[in-house]
Amino acid sequence: MRSILSMFAKSPFKPLGSHMDKVRACVEQIKPLFDALENKDYDSVKKISELIVKLEHEADMIKDDIRTHMRQSMFLPVDKKDFMHLLSAQDDIADAVEDLAVLLRIKNLDTPDEIKPRLKELVDHVVDTAHMGCDLISELEALLEASFGGAEAEKVEKATQKLGTAEWEADRKQFELAQKLFALGNDLGAADLLLWNEVIKKLGAVADKTEQIGKTLRIFLSQ
Amino acid sequence: MDLDTFLLSFAVIACIYMACNIGANDVANAMGTSVGSKSLTFRQAILIAAVAEFVGAFFVGGEVSNTIRKGMLDPLMFEAVPYHLVYGMISALVAAALWLHIASYLGWPVSTTHSIVGGVVGFGVIAGGMDVINWGKVGMVVLSWVVSPVMGGFFAFLLFKFISKTVFSKRTPLIYAKNLLPYMVFFVFVILTNAMVYKGLKNLHLDLSFDRALIISLIVGALAFSVAKYLVRKIPYDPSWDLQEQFHKTENVFKYLQILTAFYVAFAHGSNDVANAVGPLAAVVAILKDGQVHMNVPMPTWILGLGGGFIVFGLMVWGAKVMATIGEKITELTPSRGFAATFGAATVVLICSKMGLPISTTHTLVGSVIGVGLARGLPTLNLDIIKMIAISWISTIPFTAVISMLCFKIFLIFLP
Repeated sequence: MRSILSMFAKSPFKPLGSHMDKVRACVEQIKPLFDALENKDYDSVKKISELIVKLEHEADMIKDDIRTHMRQSMFLPVDKKDFMHLLSAQDDIADAVEDLAVLLRIKNLDTPDEIKPRLKELVDHVVDTAHMGCDLISELEALLEASFGGAEAEKVEKATQKLGTAEWEADRKQFELAQKLFALGNDLGAADLLLWNEVIKKLGAVADKTEQIGKTLRIFLSQ
Repeated sequence: MDLDTFLLSFAVIACIYMACNIGANDVANAMGTSVGSKSLTFRQAILIAAVAEFVGAFFVGGEVSNTIRKGMLDPLMFEAVPYHLVYGMISALVAAALWLHIASYLGWPVSTTHSIVGGVVGFGVIAGGMDVINWGKVGMVVLSWVVSPVMGGFFAFLLFKFISKTVFSKRTPLIYAKNLLPYMVFFVFVILTNAMVYKGLKNLHLDLSFDRALIISLIVGALAFSVAKYLVRKIPYDPSWDLQEQFHKTENVFKYLQILTAFYVAFAHGSNDVANAVGPLAAVVAILKDGQVHMNVPMPTWILGLGGGFIVFGLMVWGAKVMATIGEKITELTPSRGFAATFGAATVVLICSKMGLPISTTHTLVGSVIGVGLARGLPTLNLDIIKMIAISWISTIPFTAVISMLCFKIFLIFLP
């Protein structure tokens, strides 16, 4: 039975959080994936990669669900376009992780000793950056409670700035790793070089997409 | 059975039918926000609604009754044919109750007040022509379509902005909420008490002037302030709680305010809307007693008791079902938002009913919820409801008017 109380529709912010949980689960597989690769444990690489593909698919289902439920008559405290933009940014992170997983399964890739320390540094940093993005989404509930203002907004604002710095640092680390990679010259086969180059770019993409979350949240705050 | 007994029984049954529908239709709207925000359990809400509706109807309802009916048409036009007014009042009741029944079924947020207005206008036009209707009063109803949601929205927007600025934007929201609570309690009690004693308790022969009513409300408010001040100290606070934790505890503080306003909304609803069921019956009873049309119709206590009792019966039997499904559906509403919306709506209903504007509690509440939404207080709102309201606005008066005309015609055929 309907009544005027049916105007309290189901909040899309909750499924947005569930979507982010899936994205976080994807991100958490990045380190184990590279560890397995370094140890030449290609069975594990395959298993983790399949898990990531599965998690990404689950995230996609939630995304589609949010999109189909987003109706014209729904009124949000933020611009609906910005909300969808935030959802896309989250989804892009999962997509980038999935791409990474697929790339590493194309062939049994060797990790050259020369790039190992830098690679580990970049992977750790990218994972940390992605976690910062996930944590920002966990603040949404409090942000709604504070009507996107006040002390809570300042806290989120600061966190987005930190995220921006982290992304900038990821770019730098990505560049340094690429330098190391291409310094190997002819010691590395063309196929490996090509693949590693792609992998590094995808790692950078994870951080890039995470920064989009910070940017969109800042639009929420400025309204 | 002679004619008078037949008409009286018919009127009583129509009044009961109407009262049940009022209880079934509106109570979920008044109490649903409190159940949704978990300030009250379902059972508590039913209990509070039952008590508040009955008290409002029985003690304050008598005064409102006269104004609605008398304002809409001139009873003296029926001096020559007093029984036509009896037929008409029964027709109006039947039409309004039928419409409320249909609307509950369709889930349309219709106004009980507007339904009875349509019913009175319908038979009035047939019985006495266009002149018998006070079109100025009908215009007021149309005016209230705009006034009620806009004012409700305005008040709730300001109230929520105020709460947001003074509590939720702070680094220690719980401390600020604890400081603010006694003042809010004061404010709420002054308004509630004033609503009850100023021009309210005529039934209890406590009709006070505005000055005296104000003094009494201020005293009651001050007492409530002291009690709240004392109780607030018992709310624990731990500086190690982070913002999210504090927000959660702050919402618990607002639960008390929300329960208070929920009681008030049910009280206001009972006092305003019982008239729609018992007003016509009182007119019928007065005419049947001596066969004459009176300018001032006394409101017998048994009729008020009947109206209040069956509103409670309606809410317990049917309104409860609506509320049970709704309480589970509203998960996004927190007590602070619920308080801002309900208190905003209640204040507007109070002001308007004192001004004699037949305003709908339901429509005002819709406006005030949207007001909180515009203040960025709610995660989502489904604005489809606006379409439903527009439909119910446009269809209520024509529908009840036509049904009332038909009923009246049937009466005239069988009982000339």
